[in-house]
Amino acid sequence: MPLQQQITMFLRSKSFQLLVVCFAVLALIPIFITDSFFLFVFTLIFIFAIYAASWNFLANSGQGSLGHAAFLGIGGFSSAIIGGRISNALIGVLGVNSMPIGALSVLIQVSVLLIGGLISAGIGLLIGLACVRLKAWYLAMVTFGFTVIAYSLSSQFDSFTNGINGFAPTTFVPGGYSFYILVITFAATSIAVMYLIMKSRMGLAFRAIHGNEAEARMIGINTAKYKLIAFVISTFFAGIAGGLYVYFIRFVDNSIFSPANSFLPLIMTVIGGLGTLSGPIIGAVFLTSIIQILSLQSVTQSLSSTLGPLFPKVGYAGPPLTYLIIGVILLIIVIFSPKGLTSLFRKFYNYIITEDKPKGPKTK
Amino acid sequence: MDITAGTIALTLIWGVAIGCIYMLLASGLNIIFGVMKLVNFAHGQFLMIGAYLTWTISVAAGLNAYVAILVSMIAVAGLGVVIERLTFRRVLGGEKLNEIFVSLGLIYIFENAALLIWGDQSQQIKSPFYDMSLKLSTISITYDRIVAVFVVIAVLVGFGLLLYKTRIGLAMRATSQINKTASLMGINVERIYMITFALGSALAAAAGGLYGIIFSFNSQSGSMPTIIAFAIIILGGLGSIRGAIVGALLYGITEQLATLFFGGIWSSAVAFVLLIVVLIIKPNGLFGEKGE
Repeated sequence: MPLQQQITMFLRSKSFQLLVVCFAVLALIPIFITDSFFLFVFTLIFIFAIYAASWNFLANSGQGSLGHAAFLGIGGFSSAIIGGRISNALIGVLGVNSMPIGALSVLIQVSVLLIGGLISAGIGLLIGLACVRLKAWYLAMVTFGFTVIAYSLSSQFDSFTNGINGFAPTTFVPGGYSFYILVITFAATSIAVMYLIMKSRMGLAFRAIHGNEAEARMIGINTAKYKLIAFVISTFFAGIAGGLYVYFIRFVDNSIFSPANSFLPLIMTVIGGLGTLSGPIIGAVFLTSIIQILSLQSVTQSLSSTLGPLFPKVGYAGPPLTYLIIGVILLIIVIFSPKGLTSLFRKFYNYIITEDKPKGPKTK
Repeated sequence: MDITAGTIALTLIWGVAIGCIYMLLASGLNIIFGVMKLVNFAHGQFLMIGAYLTWTISVAAGLNAYVAILVSMIAVAGLGVVIERLTFRRVLGGEKLNEIFVSLGLIYIFENAALLIWGDQSQQIKSPFYDMSLKLSTISITYDRIVAVFVVIAVLVGFGLLLYKTRIGLAMRATSQINKTASLMGINVERIYMITFALGSALAAAAGGLYGIIFSFNSQSGSMPTIIAFAIIILGGLGSIRGAIVGALLYGITEQLATLFFGGIWSSAVAFVLLIVVLIIKPNGLFGEKGE
């Protein structure tokens, strides 16, 4: 099927309408709820939704990465560094007082983020070349190892990256509502693009490789090529998520390469539902809100004051309790509902639908 | 630091001692993978728990640290049985990724539970040879590192005897080859899985005790050793005992030499560069069987 036809079909499909409605609702929510905490959590949710979706995309081609933080970090570092250089150059040419504002600054911001994504994808291509021949655990180890190497590199070339002490990127789009709109635009576009690719012939090849690599090769799929393509696309979006993340929290240092950041998209995807479109998004909503709400000062304080005395060795029992609970939730979901929350919702939905329907023939 | 023949010799000895600790951890991981085909990413957390238990026992009961390791091995083996029953058994044989997800959940639970129980300060186990070292002309080696090498050899010999000279070892090796056939031969495969997991956890706890004597540790200390143990068994080839031993020594020495020549930042990175290079050249590891 030609691409054009495919896109037209997508534009007419129900999922596209749903996407538009969701987008509109999400764009309007912060107008009604002007609380800054809500805006913060919502922005973070959609940045992580892109990140988790990029991981899910890679997993759909049968490659489980344990080192996506490397690409989050590379995207973040490169867009922050390039953004800084561009802003310095502009100040040199235009002077501090006549810096571009409005549409132009948005354009610069978007292109800086895209460059970050491209650099991440370029490095993803190199790592992908090493990975395509490897089986599951080997791949997981190489990607994880690369994150460790990226951490060392960013510390080693500190004069260039400022990785050890970290730095704040120069922002082009002001924080708050305008940045939120930027994030959900990126999220909607990225997720739509990944969805379209998954629905195309290429996506079919990815799923065939995921199903059984040897059989996929047997029916003539160039598995190495497709795995590499999946790797590059996934790392591109991970890099974009990294850029957005860095510009959103306005800080980047080499702790962005931490294993916790590598595990995050994986846990989100699993909680939401592996291999589904909505899984990573639901997982991002669920996990980000839990982490943010549980780490609110009032919540951690009440957790510490109620349960704290049980653990005298820890000054502040709130955060570890939060992560302990997340671990338990993850175990429960994997063991009792391996398809994630999405499948639970679907079961619940089907249950309600069948409850509503009258049993037996209708009588009037 | 000046790089002389003495410092290089010292670095090599350190590398061997650290490699030996990783060897124990990697053997535990390898036996669990070999028999159960299970990838337990929370293996290093058993090391961390083992280190904490050894520390608690040696402090609270005033036991010799090396005796405390034995007690903590038994306790962690028991913990392993519980974990295997409650979590891994339920996902075994299903989607492979689920095992990784269960391990991640366990990592979060273990690390934060340890943080809550033992606090956030780093600890180190005091052995009877604390602060004593062997002096050879220009270099001095702490006794603990030398003892660690012998403890590892003793534990691995015991492990080898169990695996090759007992009926349980025979059953484990049979299960590792084809579990369905093993079960037709009258082997209780679930029981073998339980024993294997307990044994693997006990090896991790032993590694933890030695780790806690040589290094200071905290609740986060488990993650890196897990990854290193994985790197080692991948380097050596999954399921190959000889590979794990060679891989561990290679890893320990590379790590220490990298620290000597390039600085501490590079200690783990260089080892992963080695891993990636080996995998690009030989995708099945140094001693891996074809078709694994």
